[in-house]
Amino acid sequence: MKKFRTHLPILITGSLVGVISILLVLWGNPANMGFCIACFLRDIAGALGMHRAEAVQYIRPEIIGLVLGSMIMAMMNKEFKVRGGSSPVTRFLLGGFMMVGALMFLGCPLRMVIRLGGGDLNAIFGLVGFALGIFVGTLFLKKGFTLKKSYSQTKVEGLAIGVVNVGLLALLIAAPAFVFFSKEGPGSMHAPIAVALIAGLVVGALAQKTRFCMAGGIRDSIMLKDFHLLLGFVALLVTILVGNLIVSGFDLGRGLKVGFADQPIAHTDGLWNALGMVLVGFTAVLLGGCPMRQLVLAGSGNSDSTVTVLGMVAGAAICHNFGLASSAAGPTMAGKIAVGVGLVVVAVIGFVNTKKV
Amino acid sequence: MNEQIATFHTHLGAIRFHKILKELGDPAVMMPVPRKLSASCGTCVKFSRPFEEGWVDEDLEGVYAVKDGGFEQIFFNDEEEE
Repeated sequence: MKKFRTHLPILITGSLVGVISILLVLWGNPANMGFCIACFLRDIAGALGMHRAEAVQYIRPEIIGLVLGSMIMAMMNKEFKVRGGSSPVTRFLLGGFMMVGALMFLGCPLRMVIRLGGGDLNAIFGLVGFALGIFVGTLFLKKGFTLKKSYSQTKVEGLAIGVVNVGLLALLIAAPAFVFFSKEGPGSMHAPIAVALIAGLVVGALAQKTRFCMAGGIRDSIMLKDFHLLLGFVALLVTILVGNLIVSGFDLGRGLKVGFADQPIAHTDGLWNALGMVLVGFTAVLLGGCPMRQLVLAGSGNSDSTVTVLGMVAGAAICHNFGLASSAAGPTMAGKIAVGVGLVVVAVIGFVNTKKV
Repeated sequence: MNEQIATFHTHLGAIRFHKILKELGDPAVMMPVPRKLSASCGTCVKFSRPFEEGWVDEDLEGVYAVKDGGFEQIFFNDEEEE
């Protein structure tokens, strides 16, 4: 019973993220994309003109909410501690390659679970790859991989990401002509601003409180035989499945459609779905968390995670400018090369930062 | 049982500390840091041998005694302010 009580918060968080993801789609987000950190950061990069892929440009309030929700929760509990300086440049690069992998698969680990719960069987390849990448990452951790310790920093280093997100919210609401907003495609599909912002705030606050992380669960299960965080992952998947069944049952929307072909914003190349997520899982373990977790940590004062998020945004821009991102038609040759390069670079980063235990 | 928990800035710090304790014959285990001690998701080491400052390196953050389900800080690794 005591065990159950310790696990209850993470179970509730996983379930609530699932419910909110289903609702966000009903409210207008693209199918199987209630939440996707990779897609949403990519959309923000597009809105700011860092890439010109016209179908994916929008300032996603969910991201703003995630960061600010985490920040508010951390401050309320006196946990807002500003630290950083743990290999920031390496983290920037890892964040960039994490995005290369995610946009090969077309989703971050959170969307991977959401796609799975929508019946998108391509995400099974993603999950296998993700778990494999995490496993490889844990081997490096066991051998002594470290990005070295962080240090106490000035408040500005931690608060900056909050201010940037408030600024993004202002740009979204004011919608000046220099901000790009998609007129068609996924970027044009979105829940109302207030709804999406509140959804982000709730998830950000809960995730800060419970350390909800898509990579952490699998990592801890493999490395420490601790299944606490994995329960959040499972609760999310089950909730999404049930939610989509309800959506189908009441004919409210797309709901659950099981299969490989014609899945929304997805392709059917199993090998590259898997390899993309190997890269995401690998980088996530070296960085200490999945893309969503990086946003939450950034919100709670971890400037190393802020740098990682900036790396992800830069990575997203490069992915679309260089044609690395996949589309429904499948992966691109440039994207495959980039994932290959990414795996090599991340492995090299792994080796050179492995110290004697 | 005199249980203590050491927290770290890095996973490597936890591995090294765990190794020292194991070599001393302590039944030390590595596990996720209890949420009460940290909002981050690092690894901690639970051990029972009385804590000695000679085991400390820069990656160690603090040491806590486990008391009645709560934690009492018994060592804090002071950092120089940047």
